[in-house]
Amino acid sequence: MSITATDLWLLSPEIALTLLALLVLSLDFVVKRKAILSIVSILGLIAPAAFVTQIGLTGSRPLSGFYGMLRVDNYALFFDYLFLLIGAGVVLVSYDYVRLYLKNTGEFYALMLFSLVGAMMMASSSELITIYIALELTSFPLYIMAGMLRNSVPGDPGSASRSSEAGIKYVLLGAMSSAILLYGMALLYGSTGSTDLGEIATALTSIGHGPNSLVLLLADVFIFAGFGFKISAVPFHMWAPDIYEGAPTPGTLFFSVASKTAGFAALIRVFVDGGLVQTSSFYLWGLIAIAAILSMTLGNVVAIVQSDIKRMMAYSSIAQAGYILVGFAALAYRPGGASQAGNAAILVFLAIYVITNIGAFAGIIALANATGGERVRDFDGLVRRSPTLAVGMALCLLSLAGIPPLAGAVSKIIIFISAWQDGGLLPWLVIIALINSVISIAYYVGVVYRIFVSPPPREDRLRVSPALSVALGLSVVAIIATTIFIQPLLSAGGLGANDLVGFLGLTH
Amino acid sequence: MSWLLTILVFLPTVGALAVMVAPQGVVKWVAAVFTGVTFLLSFWLYIGPLVHMGFLGPLNNTGGFGTVMSPAWMDASPWIHFTVGSLQLNIDYRLGADGLSIFMLILNAMLSFLAVIGSWHIDKRPREYMALLLILETGVMGVFCAFDLYLFWLFWEVELIPMFLLIAIWGGRRREYAAWKFVLYTIFGSAFMLGGIFLIYFMLGGQTGIYSASFAFLASHQVAGNLLVGGAAISAQLAIFLLLYLGFAIKIPMVPFHTWLPDAHTEAPTAVSVLLAGILLKMGAYGLIRICIDFAPAGAHLFALPLAILGAVNILYGAGCSLVQQDMKRLIAYSSVSHMGFVILGVAAAVGPGATNAAFKEAALTGAAIQMFSHGAITGMLFFCVGVLYEKAHIRDIDVFGGLQARMPRLTWIYTFAAMASLGLPGLSGFVAEYLIYTSVYAIYPAQTIVAASAMIITAGYLLWMIKRSFYGPLNPHWSGIADASILEMAPLVMLGVVVLIVGIYPGWLVDLLRPSLHQIIQNVNGSVAGLHR
Repeated sequence: MSITATDLWLLSPEIALTLLALLVLSLDFVVKRKAILSIVSILGLIAPAAFVTQIGLTGSRPLSGFYGMLRVDNYALFFDYLFLLIGAGVVLVSYDYVRLYLKNTGEFYALMLFSLVGAMMMASSSELITIYIALELTSFPLYIMAGMLRNSVPGDPGSASRSSEAGIKYVLLGAMSSAILLYGMALLYGSTGSTDLGEIATALTSIGHGPNSLVLLLADVFIFAGFGFKISAVPFHMWAPDIYEGAPTPGTLFFSVASKTAGFAALIRVFVDGGLVQTSSFYLWGLIAIAAILSMTLGNVVAIVQSDIKRMMAYSSIAQAGYILVGFAALAYRPGGASQAGNAAILVFLAIYVITNIGAFAGIIALANATGGERVRDFDGLVRRSPTLAVGMALCLLSLAGIPPLAGAVSKIIIFISAWQDGGLLPWLVIIALINSVISIAYYVGVVYRIFVSPPPREDRLRVSPALSVALGLSVVAIIATTIFIQPLLSAGGLGANDLVGFLGLTH
Repeated sequence: MSWLLTILVFLPTVGALAVMVAPQGVVKWVAAVFTGVTFLLSFWLYIGPLVHMGFLGPLNNTGGFGTVMSPAWMDASPWIHFTVGSLQLNIDYRLGADGLSIFMLILNAMLSFLAVIGSWHIDKRPREYMALLLILETGVMGVFCAFDLYLFWLFWEVELIPMFLLIAIWGGRRREYAAWKFVLYTIFGSAFMLGGIFLIYFMLGGQTGIYSASFAFLASHQVAGNLLVGGAAISAQLAIFLLLYLGFAIKIPMVPFHTWLPDAHTEAPTAVSVLLAGILLKMGAYGLIRICIDFAPAGAHLFALPLAILGAVNILYGAGCSLVQQDMKRLIAYSSVSHMGFVILGVAAAVGPGATNAAFKEAALTGAAIQMFSHGAITGMLFFCVGVLYEKAHIRDIDVFGGLQARMPRLTWIYTFAAMASLGLPGLSGFVAEYLIYTSVYAIYPAQTIVAASAMIITAGYLLWMIKRSFYGPLNPHWSGIADASILEMAPLVMLGVVVLIVGIYPGWLVDLLRPSLHQIIQNVNGSVAGLHR
């Protein structure tokens, strides 16, 4: 047995992205004008995207390579596109910030690209060790990015030390979460004798996974906890506010979209492909539902009282993770099967969440670049100082709140409805989620209120750089256009979900 | 497929974009042109089918403007079809207009146009004001012609943020409080409404095998069976009715969910108060008639008696509160609570007991629908009148005026006219609606009718007392320099006055317009009530 050309072809997007990261890193030594690095990073993303498309257009899926460790199916391809989109968005959004405050452009972009390689691997591995390595590859660059702000931002003297603090905290908590995850994986390996998700699933269907199987219960809990850190679900959310606040803002954006998306990609992959969901009984559903309720409620309630916009966005992202967990709860609700609808809804929700969050952070960074302010009250009267920035930012926030006609409303309807249709206790979970949507109005619309109603601190015109305008403009166009032309996204989500859940023939 | 409804819904949005980029000087003109064109186009909704039927269709009672099953106007294309695993989510872009929709669409187009005219004096950030007004018009247009339940909910939410900002930026002293109260009440109700939509969608889908939220499908299929809630079985239709109704009841507003309304009305700028009372409250009443009782008739029937009592309470409580108000706007706001109670009472009778009373029920429902239209026009007038007065005096307290008739004959005349219409003077539209409701509801709920009718005296009391105290009697010398309403200010008032007069003298055209739609609803109600008692 040896590695074949097919294996390398299946890995080509990740290889291309790695080469791009190395290219950016080495260009950093020779190029004087750092703008070139941004341009190379963003244009270079075309190469992995082309490979993903080529794989997508060729033959039938799922394909597997590297002795079954790599599994390229529609689910993985969906996430590949999403991660490349995140890459492009973060480069656009960070263009000015990195140049102004970070001074080490090449490193920032290279780290981000390495992290994306890990994230893509997380979505397409079907073997526990590979998933763990991919997770570490995703996380380590994040730790560095969190602590990258070495000189304080003008007007905020504490920002450099907060950034270092964020970096250290992130490393420590990340290491702890990895350890917990590894412990869960070890228990799973101990019970089934394999690290391959397919073999684990087969073993679990024969040995069962009842409430009496304490080892498997512990494995479920530990694995969920390990990924729970990545997706910042309550009660594993404590790191998020501090690190979101302390990290350089483009890094914060990257954590809020990439870490969460990759976390969910791997979480669902392990739980569904590994057969944990299908063979487990009621308690697993209860565990997820409680995490969902806590995430939504805590995230939304605590976000209301935040005075720092990045902290507010941290709690907002915790609440959004809660909504996604509603879909995950639906996925895990029926013993003996896994709901494709819940899974597809999660994919669609994540895609729209990514687009919207990129727009919202573009707005936050634009304001911070122009005024140095990152507090909620710095948004006061923004409409008088920069009408287009104000409208764009407001639309992104309202989309996060789920106000039609913006895409966030449709994605929420889809995730709630996919949970509701499975019946049983799920409608009650959806009702709790609906009430939470009402609560979330208070802070999202609260910022909109400040933008449009409150008097501005001074009467001036803010200048928004071209890169940020493009990022914000594209997100706003996307969140309106997605509402109207949502069908392709839904079809893609459905394809991805079918591949995953159909894996074992254990659907209901 | 005709494009008229799509154009009517989205022309104001285009207008909003045009307002955003128009030069500062012509912003109001752009807004006026777009709302004006929308208003003119909306007439074609009524005239087009008339031409098609040779002007005799509605009089011959042969289908007329159609029903929810086969509306006169339809504009549909597929939108969301999400079929994964066992889930089938079908949401279509489906706009339609039958009689019930058409007259609400025309009312909305008219009041939006008049609101722009009536806001000509706005100098504070006019660009944003007009843009928000236009987006508001799009949202409300969508609500009145969405023929898919999910689409209806999406449009229902669109109105929220523009109205919030309109109150919060251009409102009175306590605008922040009023705006937040408005937005939280509304969104709380709409969350439950969405729950109700999920419930009816999946129960009906499970029972018929067809997953659709189109109005035609929902009106022709009824949910059966019971739901277990915490171990107790309740009728599924009742649960659906209550969940949906909670959203509408807040909007109507029904006591005890009404407290946002006096604050929002009082703090909002004049034209926005007009839209709130004229259009936004009607969204609730429209939803009650079109959705609640048509799609869950058996549930509505089970709730008919509480509904009738709540309607009577609304009428009496609103009137009682009006009597003690000092602020004119607050008085009119509470009178809205009272007048919208008639809609609830009419609807309650329409779903009430007695299978032989079909004619009375239809009359009650017709009365409720006409009351929606008439209240929109009359309350619009009253708010415009107060707006004109406030613009000149910068105060709205009833007591501080006196004898204004000597200085403001035009305003006095039109204000008195509006008050007379509001208290139900025969020959004006308010009388038509209230008379229809009283006479027909009496056959079904006599006690509630008697209680409600006693409120007529109070209504006459607070309106005439207000007019007397501020416009008649000796002139308060403080106001000797006040100017009368200008031609521009009189224009919307006269226009609404003409509408009130036309409906009052010849309501037949309105009844013809509504008859097929309401007949279908009553048939639905009677059919399922018969099933319930079998």
